[in-house]
Amino acid sequence: MSFLDSLAAGLSLVGNVESFLALFVGVVIGVIGGAIPGMSATMAVALTLPFTFALQPITGILLLLGVYKGGIFGGSIPAILIKTPGTPASSATILDGYPMAERGEAGRALGMALWASCTADLISNLSLILFAGWLASFALSFGPPEFFTLILFSLTIIAGVSGDSLLRGALSALLGLLLATVGLDLVYGTNRFTFGDPNMMGGLNFIAVLIGLFAIPEIIAMVWSPTAHVGTARSLGKNWVSFADYRKSFKSIVRGSFIGVFLGSIPGIGAAPSAFLSYSEARRTSKNRENFGRGEIEGVAASEAGNNGVAGATLIPLLALGVPGDVITAIIIGAFMIHGLQPGPMMFILNVDIIYGLFIGLIVSSVFLFFVGTLAIKGFKFVADVPKRILIPAVLVLCIYGVFAVNNNIFDVGVMFAMGWVGFAMLRFHVPAAPFLIAFILGPLLEDNFRQSMLMSGSDPAILFRGPITWFFWTVTAITIFAIARAGVRAMRTGGTIVR
Amino acid sequence: MTDRSLQMQLGLGALIFSAFLIVYAIPAWVSSPSNVGNVVLSPLFWPYALAGFLALTGAGLLLAALRTDPGGDLLNRPSDEPVAAYIRLGAMAVLMGVTMVLLPRLGMVLTSMLLFVATAFLVRTRHPVAALICAVVIPLVLYAFFAHVAGVAVPQGNFLRLP
Repeated sequence: MSFLDSLAAGLSLVGNVESFLALFVGVVIGVIGGAIPGMSATMAVALTLPFTFALQPITGILLLLGVYKGGIFGGSIPAILIKTPGTPASSATILDGYPMAERGEAGRALGMALWASCTADLISNLSLILFAGWLASFALSFGPPEFFTLILFSLTIIAGVSGDSLLRGALSALLGLLLATVGLDLVYGTNRFTFGDPNMMGGLNFIAVLIGLFAIPEIIAMVWSPTAHVGTARSLGKNWVSFADYRKSFKSIVRGSFIGVFLGSIPGIGAAPSAFLSYSEARRTSKNRENFGRGEIEGVAASEAGNNGVAGATLIPLLALGVPGDVITAIIIGAFMIHGLQPGPMMFILNVDIIYGLFIGLIVSSVFLFFVGTLAIKGFKFVADVPKRILIPAVLVLCIYGVFAVNNNIFDVGVMFAMGWVGFAMLRFHVPAAPFLIAFILGPLLEDNFRQSMLMSGSDPAILFRGPITWFFWTVTAITIFAIARAGVRAMRTGGTIVR
Repeated sequence: MTDRSLQMQLGLGALIFSAFLIVYAIPAWVSSPSNVGNVVLSPLFWPYALAGFLALTGAGLLLAALRTDPGGDLLNRPSDEPVAAYIRLGAMAVLMGVTMVLLPRLGMVLTSMLLFVATAFLVRTRHPVAALICAVVIPLVLYAFFAHVAGVAVPQGNFLRLP
């Protein structure tokens, strides 16, 4: 099928009001979810997921992608107006955004954040379109040993970069892998940690684990400390971003977008490191470097470009290899699975219409983000005024309905509650939840590919080193472990925590 | 809790959990056929390997704790009223347990309404009237969506039958 044929197939799938409406609604939900302090883009995507069950696969996935895109930008609004990042990815935006707000230039900072976000989003989406197909055609030659080494590499990097400490990240990933062993054995069909309960024989429900880990702990944290208050929102001021501001920051925006694309396409790194790297590169090369940290608009542009540049690129490993790029794409992979789709190289052959439909939708999402973002900046006051102590019980009820709806099973609600307490304990012990969830998803794939390799080779481990692709992944895994361990040892010697 | 004590507790916890898995949980709760030819293909291999890595990580955490400065800042902001906070946590756990019991008996809509009200008052809402209105409206709206749009068989319970 030629490129034009694929494009036409995609267009025929998404060329209807329902798809674009879902995308638009998704962007609105994402911006609002990202803008409410205490919620996050991750939580917004997780809570929207159950609503996709009733939709066509493409419509449901577009809805979630809209939430993802909107959520990443939405997080910058409270970051600038109340110095509280709506998502971790917006942490770098505070550095210059809040000083601008203090000067009465919040509107200008938010305008630049929006323009930089939309530009980076577009660049990221175009990169996805360019590279995902190429990577998928390359990955078609992968067998179980290659997939095993790829997933091992992904887990290594995810455990290493997802928190303050490599060891806590590894602990989290190992617990996720252990939880993934619950259910019937993949080869022999014998019981593993099922306690004879038929509800557990298919393994624990992914949505219950996901919502339990990411939404319920926030509710329990609110119960623990109901008066944890939110800062006062600054006014937007009279200044708005000008085209001259945009032109002045354009180089930093493009550079930040490509940093985002590069880091986003590596599974596990995510948006926050990308935003900080983009910010520090902009500061290093800018003529106004002494203004950085004191309210420099180029700083806002660079950090927003860095975190939004990731948004499309994280879909590259998801669509091409079936490996989630970050925790939100891990949730989106769940949506694919619920609709009977398996992301990966074969999807580019079997479901090319869905792939190109998603590409078209993603390009349109940048346009929607521009319009929705403009309105959201002006309407933030209303979002910030939503009483959190009413929002939290509403989220709890929504979680119960959503989790029950997956399998029509009350047992899943119990799993969600149990995972909520696990997530709360992880929160209190500063153990990152992202490696747990990603390991929980990748665990069965890792084990399955390992055992298939062993079956293929008659249990000869040499098959795991059978060609240049496996060697490549072993090498990058070793380099990653070495680099993270060295950074950890250095941080310990200087008396700090083991930083990313 | 300082960084050192946190790493120490996590390390010890990981070692104890790993020992529990290796000594009791895996032999008792993972079954394997007797005719498995090679150890790496056994259903037991993966859990044992993970338990081993867990022990290594626990040891690493303990080592890191011993090398960390004993002083240092507290990682979690202490609660202003710790006893009340623990009571609220306990109450939340009870609420979740009661929800599981009530869901098949009262149905999802009524149980959600009660849970909404209880949680709103547990977090000491300053908008009790709005909370009561939302407690009725939100479960009904969600019921309408999931039952009539998504086609989910939402549990109805023994007392209230909704259309």
